[in-house]
Amino acid sequence: MFRLPIMERAQWQQRAKEFGFEFHTMYGEKYWDETAYYQFTLEQIEKGIEGPTEDVHQMCLAVVEKVIHDDELMRRFCLPEGQWDFIRQSWLNGDPSLYSRLDFAYSGVGDAKLYENNADTPTSIYETGFWQWLWLQDNVDSGVLSSHSDQFNSLQEKLVNRFKEISILTPNRTLHFACCKGTPEDRGTVQYLEDCAKEAGLKTAFVYMEDIGRDVSGSFTDLSDHIITSMFKLYPWEFMFQEEFSTDLGNNNIRWVEPPWKSILSNKALLPMLWKLFPNHPNLLPAFFEDELHLASDIDSLVKKPIFSREGANISFTGKQKGMAISDGPYGEEGFIYQKTHLLPRFGDNYTLIGSWLVDNQAAGISVREDSGPITQDMSRYLPHIIL
Amino acid sequence: MKRSKQINIAIMRKELIVRPLLKPVALAVASITLVACGNEEDVKVASSVDDCVSKTDLTQEQCEVAYQKALEEAARTAPRYNSLSACGIEFGQRYCHQSPDGFFVPYMSGFMVSNAFHHGYVYNPVFYYRNSRSSYHGRVMLSDGTVIGSAGRSSYKVPKSTLSSKPTPTRTVSRGGFGSVASAKSNWGGGKSKSWGG
Repeated sequence: MFRLPIMERAQWQQRAKEFGFEFHTMYGEKYWDETAYYQFTLEQIEKGIEGPTEDVHQMCLAVVEKVIHDDELMRRFCLPEGQWDFIRQSWLNGDPSLYSRLDFAYSGVGDAKLYENNADTPTSIYETGFWQWLWLQDNVDSGVLSSHSDQFNSLQEKLVNRFKEISILTPNRTLHFACCKGTPEDRGTVQYLEDCAKEAGLKTAFVYMEDIGRDVSGSFTDLSDHIITSMFKLYPWEFMFQEEFSTDLGNNNIRWVEPPWKSILSNKALLPMLWKLFPNHPNLLPAFFEDELHLASDIDSLVKKPIFSREGANISFTGKQKGMAISDGPYGEEGFIYQKTHLLPRFGDNYTLIGSWLVDNQAAGISVREDSGPITQDMSRYLPHIIL
Repeated sequence: MKRSKQINIAIMRKELIVRPLLKPVALAVASITLVACGNEEDVKVASSVDDCVSKTDLTQEQCEVAYQKALEEAARTAPRYNSLSACGIEFGQRYCHQSPDGFFVPYMSGFMVSNAFHHGYVYNPVFYYRNSRSSYHGRVMLSDGTVIGSAGRSSYKVPKSTLSSKPTPTRTVSRGGFGSVASAKSNWGGGKSKSWGG
């Protein structure tokens, strides 16, 4: 695994415009960065990342199976009691999942270590599934990169196929896509997934979360007063569970993507549960609930993560690394979990994180993110990669 | 190969989508087509809400919704002409008006109601064709020129394709029940847009 400099494609910004990739630069800072790329061997990809990704995913599903049947654990995961039936029913029905992203610390040697599971609202999928694919294609076409270069990235292909499967399970429904207003990044992500669904032959529509309505029978509606029967929402379940319309969840006939049972996986309480069920697994870091910190007495540094948080917000270090770095944010009121400190590998001045994507149960590709600090956040740069 | 073998680049292009809503040349009724026989469905054509209530199984409220939806659909899809006289030749000048986008369009003369519940309700607008020199004079047609039959019949047989399944219309009684947590949290972050993904 190397970080190699490369010439940017001439006028790639123009190409980004052509394809509607609008958030490559945000607040004057580079988000998409093609001044360098990461190179992996096939063995690093297959044994280091792909295999562990599918293994860890299966372990995560085992956690869901355990938590779903245990009221005490449902409480530990800070899931509101009023939504337990809704969550449980979706798991017992086998409601299909579309995608998730596992974040790993991986340096090219040794075991990839799981940081967390973005199972409910993962982003940077457009950059991964399409844009870095195009970057490789362009650079191979222009002779800059070897024609033997490959990429761990079958994401778009797998997404289209998964949408086909979902539409077979519930045919003839229009799939509504939703995200919040005022966030071009989320709007772009949702547009990409809508494009994939259309490619799969589904009828699609879009509505902002804030614009969703309700009729007298409790059905949710879009701005054309059409009843929503199938919805992809790039909006956290734990937010929805607290909001006014949550009282109708489960009473109306909607196929949700991601399904409600994903609220157990996108939850940081997953991490101590994984460690309890699969202690000393090579791809896991020791992790603990707040009231079990005595079990961590021999660990000299821990990372403190909120039960609910997104985009690397509200992360801090305790113990030996205390005061080293801290990220700000609006999360943490539900409490925290602790995970053994295992810093990201550094390439030059950069801390590098591997996001490993799954479509349903299948590993489907990676994204590489870099930051000058050890906590990867929403503005951390995105770099493309190749396999050679 | 560890990457997608093929990606349809053409559908990924977004720039071309940024175009005016309307094509520069008015559409008019491009070609009049007769409905094909075969896979057909019985529909009623209602000329008003009351007519809908008396002819169909729908309630007063459902008929009102269907009527409103058909009007919206007509505003969107009715054949468009550059002049009143051009519209008038086909639909009669008295039955044409100028739409907000500047074109001349015929008034909706009624709306289709399908008995087939498995299709959901259908609210396609229909137009009365008045071109006296045409053999289709006095027929009822859809926005795209599909003739469904002579005016005044109690029911029509139309191909299922003209009943493309539309979501059930309803009345929304409240909005804004989602998004409040994001809104509360967005105060943090100094005005930068925040992703709610991760």
